[in-house]
Amino acid sequence: MTSRPSSEEPLLTVEHLHVAYGRSEVVRDVSFTVPRGSTLALIGESGSGKSTIARAVLRLLDRRGAHVRGSITLRGRAIHDLPEPALRPLRGRVLGFVPQDPGSSLNPVRTIGSQALEAAALVPEASTRAAREDLVRDALERVGLSDPGRIAAAYPHQLSGGQLQRVLIALAIIPRPALLVADEPTSALDVTVQKQILDLLASLQAELGIGLLLITHDLALAAERSQQVVVLSGGSIQEAGPTAQVFERPHSDYTRRLQADVPGLHPDRFAALRAGRGDTAGGSPGDAAAGSPARLEADRITRTFRTAGGDVPALREVSFAVRRGTTHALVGESGSGKTTAARALMGLEPLDSGRLRVDGRAIDPGDRRSLRSLRRDLQLVHQNPFTSLDPRFRVGRIVREPLDLYGVGSAAERRERVRWALDAVRLGEDLLGRRPTALSGGQRQRVAIARALVLRPEVLVLDEPTSALDVSVQAGILEVLATLQRDLGLTYLFISHDLGVVRQIADTLTVLRRGEVVEEGEAARVLAAPQHEYTQRLLSSVPALGGRRDEDILEATA
Amino acid sequence: MSTTSPGAGALGLAVTRSPLTAARSRYAGFALRRLAQAVLVILLAYVLVFLVLAAIPGDPVSAQLDNPEAGYTEAEKARIRSFYGLDKPVLVQLALALGRALHGDLGISLSTSASVSSTIGEALPSTLALASSALVLAVLIALALGFASQRLPEGRPNALVRTLPTVFLSTPNFLIGLVLIQVLAVQLGLFSIIEPESAGATLFAALTLAIPVSAQIAQVLITALDTTASLDHTEVALSRGLTPLRVFARHLLRPSLLPTVTVCGLVVGELLGGSLITETIFGRAGLGTVVQKAVSSQDVPVLQAAVVLSAAVFVLVNLVIDLVLPALDPRLRPIQEAS
Repeated sequence: MTSRPSSEEPLLTVEHLHVAYGRSEVVRDVSFTVPRGSTLALIGESGSGKSTIARAVLRLLDRRGAHVRGSITLRGRAIHDLPEPALRPLRGRVLGFVPQDPGSSLNPVRTIGSQALEAAALVPEASTRAAREDLVRDALERVGLSDPGRIAAAYPHQLSGGQLQRVLIALAIIPRPALLVADEPTSALDVTVQKQILDLLASLQAELGIGLLLITHDLALAAERSQQVVVLSGGSIQEAGPTAQVFERPHSDYTRRLQADVPGLHPDRFAALRAGRGDTAGGSPGDAAAGSPARLEADRITRTFRTAGGDVPALREVSFAVRRGTTHALVGESGSGKTTAARALMGLEPLDSGRLRVDGRAIDPGDRRSLRSLRRDLQLVHQNPFTSLDPRFRVGRIVREPLDLYGVGSAAERRERVRWALDAVRLGEDLLGRRPTALSGGQRQRVAIARALVLRPEVLVLDEPTSALDVSVQAGILEVLATLQRDLGLTYLFISHDLGVVRQIADTLTVLRRGEVVEEGEAARVLAAPQHEYTQRLLSSVPALGGRRDEDILEATA
Repeated sequence: MSTTSPGAGALGLAVTRSPLTAARSRYAGFALRRLAQAVLVILLAYVLVFLVLAAIPGDPVSAQLDNPEAGYTEAEKARIRSFYGLDKPVLVQLALALGRALHGDLGISLSTSASVSSTIGEALPSTLALASSALVLAVLIALALGFASQRLPEGRPNALVRTLPTVFLSTPNFLIGLVLIQVLAVQLGLFSIIEPESAGATLFAALTLAIPVSAQIAQVLITALDTTASLDHTEVALSRGLTPLRVFARHLLRPSLLPTVTVCGLVVGELLGGSLITETIFGRAGLGTVVQKAVSSQDVPVLQAAVVLSAAVFVLVNLVIDLVLPALDPRLRPIQEAS
């Protein structure tokens, strides 16, 4: 529990908070204090109860049928038992909320201006329409939206995720709240946008003296952005205290484990595993450039999407080569063309020009026969295991299906192969009879990898395979992938926006921006000394890799 | 409660004109195309009805004329036949009938010898009053059920509200009408069954018609409200300190109107069909009575006009709805360039 000896009364005090849905308690005895103008981060993985605590503080749980016990005090006033009409004047004006998903957090059928004016109308001082318009214009400008008139006239679907998140922050600060509850305010955004939004929150906080309750799953982000942290797991507090202290000398096992799983803090986590790879991969990634032939080759591939708004180039003369048994990363933000490249490689996307080769064989989306034989050697693992597995099938059938489609072996041999694939991703045979809905996110992604492995392909295309998963689950998946590569000599094309993960697992990389290669080379070298301004920006946006604080943490945990 | 005007230029700041004008002209193009389609559908309905009646064996006009009780002489028969063009090939008859219909001449009723347009014109106001007040009532009932479904806490009352549409839907129209007449008119004397066109009687007849129709609208509305409520933006609006009523009206109801308005267009057919039964129960002299008589006396010109009129009402209502939908949901509007 945090305690701060100060004569000043704290902004928010939560004491012995319990939240239960029916008989299951999702938050247990949670207490913390947010001092005025300071930031407290609630850290936890999915299911840790962090968002529930945020909603309890905002008093948004009543309508969800939750049972809340404990006390919540805001500026010395108990709000946990305040009736709704008495609470309403505090909403927005004292208690601000910045939600997680900007795409669904604004009314889709009304303009930004109409919704902003509605928020401004709740400010008592803004009695005239002109005063409210001034408030809105100020707020939009303050969050860095340079053309408030155009933004106000726009509907949510006409703006980007970053713009929408700025709008939501602007709406939250219009009534000048004392406390902002930000629930994963950047998890739906690209890293460079994430940095801008966090910088914005920090500057607003300094300027307006707002206290910030920051909910996040990202340890590195919390380390960089908060003064106090509370680490949650399974609804109860594992550890709490000043940020520097918790990260330098974590005393709970859970925090230590969580920290060990943050890719950015441990760039060499899989180094030993990867060094054990056979000669084909080259002993060290540094000198293998010569020798082994390219397993996968893209030669000036170009693809342009034609839309009503004009031509959008998704890939512009992109070239890369992946050596046998190594991992090549395609790195970039949304719209960089990395997924289009993966789709083209699978023969799912025609190219305007350029050539893709696997073992010297050209990929031709028009030639279905050769594609079919190609796909035996080239398998794709999708980004989101929650939607990529057929919910009607059981695990055994999901994994076996490729064998059935290609008519591989007898029934007994297929069963044997399925068992082997599950074993390779470290899943027990007891899961064979389960359906995807009865599996956790990590288990689902392992099933997806097993399904890709069962044909014994040479190459796996991994499209952000861990971006939908918690860090601890991600670490397990990455370890499975590194082990498989060592044992089976697989070649990976690893698509990711997460430079921390890329640094851990990739030998070589290509950085893409708007369909163009901006930098390429050995992963360790590029990430240690990026040449291009964009790569530098990407790198500095990743909380754990760029900040000064991380060096300290690395030293402390080394 | 202050109201803020949605739409472009909400801040009174300069909004560039050109993309707006471009979007307007694109909308005009869309509206013209839909209008042309609607006219085409009505014309095709007319042709189809004409051809179906022509294809029925035993020309119904002749059956009427040859009826000995009618007592037409051969000369009269020939004159009437040539008046309707029945001595000409079917396609020529169709062309003539279409040509007359386009000039507003729908022919003459075979049973009453009055012009079809005046027969229908006399019955139409009563039916329109009934159907349109039924639609208004149905929408009001659906809105009330929708509001209750969102505002009542989870539990029995809420569950009851959500069951009502199914109950309404499975109760026959005539049963509701008879119960209303028995209880409200006969026992309580709230309206008179002797003056079926009085305001009170019209209201209760409309209620009879509205109840099953409201169920369909309410089912769609409640589902849409539930979907909208599960989106983050209602919770965010609540956290901003808006009153629950305002959150319901502006953040829950507005985004849920799209499917609801669409279903309103679809139930118009139901309203027209239902008014036939309701008119019979309440003894109103509306279109339903006219159609009923025309069917029993094989009065083809009247029938044809009634069918085409129903088609026209259905098509026009749905045309209006199609044209209104982009105003309800900006995502349906032609893409506007975000500069």
